[in-house]
Amino acid sequence: MKKIMLACSSGMSTSILVSKMQEHAKELGEEAKIWAVGQDQAMKEMEGADVILIGPQMRFLLSKFQQATEKPVEVIDMMAYGMADGKAAYEQAVKLMG
Amino acid sequence: MQTNEQTMEQIAFTMILHSGNARSTIREAIEVYKDGTFEDFELLLSNARSQLQEAHQVHFSQVQKEASGEPTTLSLLLLHAEDHLMSTQTMLDLTTGLIELMEHKFSKK
Repeated sequence: MKKIMLACSSGMSTSILVSKMQEHAKELGEEAKIWAVGQDQAMKEMEGADVILIGPQMRFLLSKFQQATEKPVEVIDMMAYGMADGKAAYEQAVKLMG
Repeated sequence: MQTNEQTMEQIAFTMILHSGNARSTIREAIEVYKDGTFEDFELLLSNARSQLQEAHQVHFSQVQKEASGEPTTLSLLLLHAEDHLMSTQTMLDLTTGLIELMEHKFSKK
């Protein structure tokens, strides 16, 4: 079970991206728990995730997140985000998990 | 980063992307200002301004389309994207104004 947490300011745009990522995981037949949180909730829930992806509006918090957890944290790829591309975002998360 | 094939959802995401980049850059600019590296501050703030301009451009194209009779499908996501755009504009204006205020204050002393 892959556990992927997405974080952005209010959790709104990433919620939409989550749905698309879930669709893609389903197509691949992979079990994944993917969810979105807002900026304030992100710190509290990051330990429940294998990997954390953050929106571009949260980029300035990247080092703070990286210091707070051992889990890989990365900003969502700009192309993937701009095109609301769930497949690309899912692939980025899986790659980060190694 | 806008093509004719973009859906309304992608247009909203593109606006959030560019506004979001601008927002993060403004915060980074404030951090370097605190560290005293004023040249980097100017550079970052100028980058933020360009990034926000890109977001405005995407929005402006959509407004132009609507004005020419092509209706826009409204969604909460699009309104959210506008929130991002305008709140980041406010951040940029306030940051610029506050820095001017500080420099004015300290140059008088």
